[in-house]
Amino acid sequence: MRMASAAFPYLSAILLSCVIGMLAILLIPPDRKVLIKRVSAVFSGITLVLSLFLFLAYDKNLGGFQFVENVPWIPSLGISYFNAVDGFSLPNLLLTGIVFFTGVLTMWELETRVKEFFALYFLLVTGVFGLFMSLDLFFIFVWYDVSLFPMYLLIAVWGSTRKEYGAMKLTLYLLAGSALILPAVIFLYAKSGMNTFSIVSLMQPGILSPGAQKFAFILLFIGFGILAAVWPLHTWSPVGHVAAPTGVSMVHAGVLMKIGAFGILRVAIMLCPLGWVYWANLMAVLAATGVIYGVLAGLRQTDLKYVIGYSSVSHMGVVGLGLSTVTAEGLNGAVFQMFAHGIMTALLFSSVGYIYDRTHTKLIPELGGLSRIMPVASAFFIFAALAGIGVPGLAPFWGELVVFVAAFRTYPVLGVIAVLALVVSALFMLRVVQRTFYGPENERFAKLPDISLSLGIPRIILSAVLLIVGFFPSFLFDIIRTASVPFMSGLPR
Amino acid sequence: MNWTNAGPEIFYLAAGLLFLLLSLVAEPNPRREHLTALFLASVGILVCLVSAGSQGHLFIRAFRLDIFSQVFKVLLALGLFLIICICGDMTDIKERRHQVFYFLLFTGTMALMLLVSADHLLSIYISLEVSSYSLYILVALRQKQSYGLEAGIKYFLVGSFSSAVMLFGMALLYSTSGTIYLTDMARVLPGIINQPGVIIGLLFTLGGFFFKLAVFPFHFWAPDTYQGAANQVAAYIATASKVAAIAVILRVAAFAGQGSVYLVHCLVILSVVSMTLGNLAAIVQKDIKRLLAFSTIAHSGYVLLGILVLSPAGYSGAIFYALALLLMEFTAFMVIVELASDGRNLQIEELAGLHKRSPIMALALMVSLFSLAGIPPTIGFAGKFLVFVAAIEKGYVSLVIIAMINVVISLYYYLIVIKAAYLLEPAEELPPLSLSFPKTLLAGASAVVIVVAGFAPYWLVRLAQTAAQALIWSR
Repeated sequence: MRMASAAFPYLSAILLSCVIGMLAILLIPPDRKVLIKRVSAVFSGITLVLSLFLFLAYDKNLGGFQFVENVPWIPSLGISYFNAVDGFSLPNLLLTGIVFFTGVLTMWELETRVKEFFALYFLLVTGVFGLFMSLDLFFIFVWYDVSLFPMYLLIAVWGSTRKEYGAMKLTLYLLAGSALILPAVIFLYAKSGMNTFSIVSLMQPGILSPGAQKFAFILLFIGFGILAAVWPLHTWSPVGHVAAPTGVSMVHAGVLMKIGAFGILRVAIMLCPLGWVYWANLMAVLAATGVIYGVLAGLRQTDLKYVIGYSSVSHMGVVGLGLSTVTAEGLNGAVFQMFAHGIMTALLFSSVGYIYDRTHTKLIPELGGLSRIMPVASAFFIFAALAGIGVPGLAPFWGELVVFVAAFRTYPVLGVIAVLALVVSALFMLRVVQRTFYGPENERFAKLPDISLSLGIPRIILSAVLLIVGFFPSFLFDIIRTASVPFMSGLPR
Repeated sequence: MNWTNAGPEIFYLAAGLLFLLLSLVAEPNPRREHLTALFLASVGILVCLVSAGSQGHLFIRAFRLDIFSQVFKVLLALGLFLIICICGDMTDIKERRHQVFYFLLFTGTMALMLLVSADHLLSIYISLEVSSYSLYILVALRQKQSYGLEAGIKYFLVGSFSSAVMLFGMALLYSTSGTIYLTDMARVLPGIINQPGVIIGLLFTLGGFFFKLAVFPFHFWAPDTYQGAANQVAAYIATASKVAAIAVILRVAAFAGQGSVYLVHCLVILSVVSMTLGNLAAIVQKDIKRLLAFSTIAHSGYVLLGILVLSPAGYSGAIFYALALLLMEFTAFMVIVELASDGRNLQIEELAGLHKRSPIMALALMVSLFSLAGIPPTIGFAGKFLVFVAAIEKGYVSLVIIAMINVVISLYYYLIVIKAAYLLEPAEELPPLSLSFPKTLLAGASAVVIVVAGFAPYWLVRLAQTAAQALIWSR
């Protein structure tokens, strides 16, 4: 494995700007709300710039892990502070940067307990960034939980619709996931006998026996799978999305669920490839069921956020299907879909957030005709919904296309069923759009203002990303390939 | 024999006697006594640090000084100092009893220090009893006598029952091994470890310490005693007394328990039952001290997990866990003492609105509870992690999964408390807590230490590993 060290610790700089941002927010008096928001925007902007820089500066010809930072942390246990990026993690880092920054801008209208909100928000994102860049199992676990526990307060304090129930359910489910991950991680550490938690050392072929790989893989798959909303462990996800405040829903559906899929890829698949091959059929069945289930359950929903929540379950099923094909194309499509779905869902939640803040309802029957009342705000939602359906020219289309092409080869039957399910989902998404944004207007909302330019900025950024990546998918695919192709060719058969 | 080796014990005995003398000749003056105690306790930490390097034996090998015992003495001194920090206004112990209170606190700590270095079955027994007796009285000192006396008597009854069991076990051990020194047992026992008499002797002996640590089935006293004792006394029981119990179980298990399959089986059962029972019972609690008592029972289960693997990694994990437990329990109790300024028992719903009344206290409470739940990056997680690594290295994967499921259960009730502090609004508007600067500093420092020591535990892990080596080398 090629490793190129960093001249400047860019990765730590991303983490530090989160931590410093959080400390800065904590030092500002709580009543200076505008200052707190500006500081949040500046520091989240820095992380976006840094992650974009890394994305562009990554040497695609060299490949492998770059910008490596490796500092021994607890040598006697083989724990090191080991950060690096490769083709799998770069799209996710960029995604986190974009969603983080636009999330802060989306929450610009927040008035209650602003200081605590942004401090916790920064803590949450620190964990997410840390997980995407870490190559040490110990730190991956630590970041997983760091990104998890601010969630409880973020949802329970600032949320809506059964917020305490949703927050508790989400926290306990995700912690149950970590209850399986930690034993599996330590098991791999103990079985290797190498006294190291470094993924790079543990992933060398021949270190872990096939039996150990099979056992650890299933624990890791279920553990991370809970966070990735793999059916039937997804039930926390729609409830949690609905209960969370807008900015948190964005990070949550946009990025946090990707942590689950990324954990399956980075830890389970890369460390236990034999376990991956062994369990791939199960993964495929669960993923395809998730695609269908998400669509069918979404059909019955009357709450806009529940609709998005279930469509997320179904889209994450597509990611899972890509991961289960055991092909380089499948991995490409899965990672691409993680990025595309993240941006798309963030835009959906962001648009619904605006509508909810004005109308104070998310129920589809109560809305209607919104496109004449607030045409621009409606346009963002419709745009994101079209992306979700998989309209060519927008980012999610490519992810789904590549995944399904790979899936047709490996699992023809499941592939066909999943594609059919997505066609149904297109119908129902259009119906939601029609009932919410067209048709008769609700008199109560007739006087509501359209979205202002400043509030429109985060939505414009997200829409632009969907378009750019939709038109130039190779922008992402070229980078993902630098990781997936060498990994698949080095796989023991 | 070198008397300076016994420095810490002599110092704490002298400090205790000073308070006894004071109670005979001086009028009670709570503030003066508190400051004196604070001063003596901080000097005590220094004394323990100075004598940290001493090695050797005391009193015809009845006590054994090694890095293990010295580390625990520093921990105990630290624990006593922290507890005295929150004894500033003890409203539910009569003013004229404050001198006696400090006398018992110092002598109790002295006994715990003897306990962690005891190498002789009799010296173990005596120091355990001395520490327990000071605790029995401390519990009963509470002004609301109905609470205090009931709790004191319950504590005393379970305590004397378990010391009887322990004495019986010690007699069995002596009769089978022919020696009364732990160090000699480490030589003799491995040959005869599977004789029924030895197993029963070991288990019964450990029973006395399980009482101290509140391990199932010796846990019955914990909830009632925590609830009945004054908040500060409950804090002392939850911290210093637990730390010493972990130390003595470690020493006995490491010296005498090597190679015993049956002992390990029993410990596995006790560990699993303790953590499950503690966590399940904690869910329904309304009184926050009772909740913490049940959570301590669960924590004793996690500690046992580190001990039962009988490997250096497990011992160092348990030692680290003892330190973590000291800090987290203290921080949680500090918030309770501060909120219940009139010394009442605090209900969970009384935490409502804490985040407005005192953000720093709410933060300290949240950090300590997340640490107790074992969420990284906190010291509680580091402790669990070390213990789990040791257990899995010895092949106890399923045991660790059970423990992790328990962690999930425990998070539920910790979240209920956190929810009360951050979410619930009080029925009537309560004034903000006015905290003195030292208290703010203490709360902030505890929270920071818990997080920093969890994120960068390198030196503490090294310390725990060094201390654990003393349990292996010195046969």
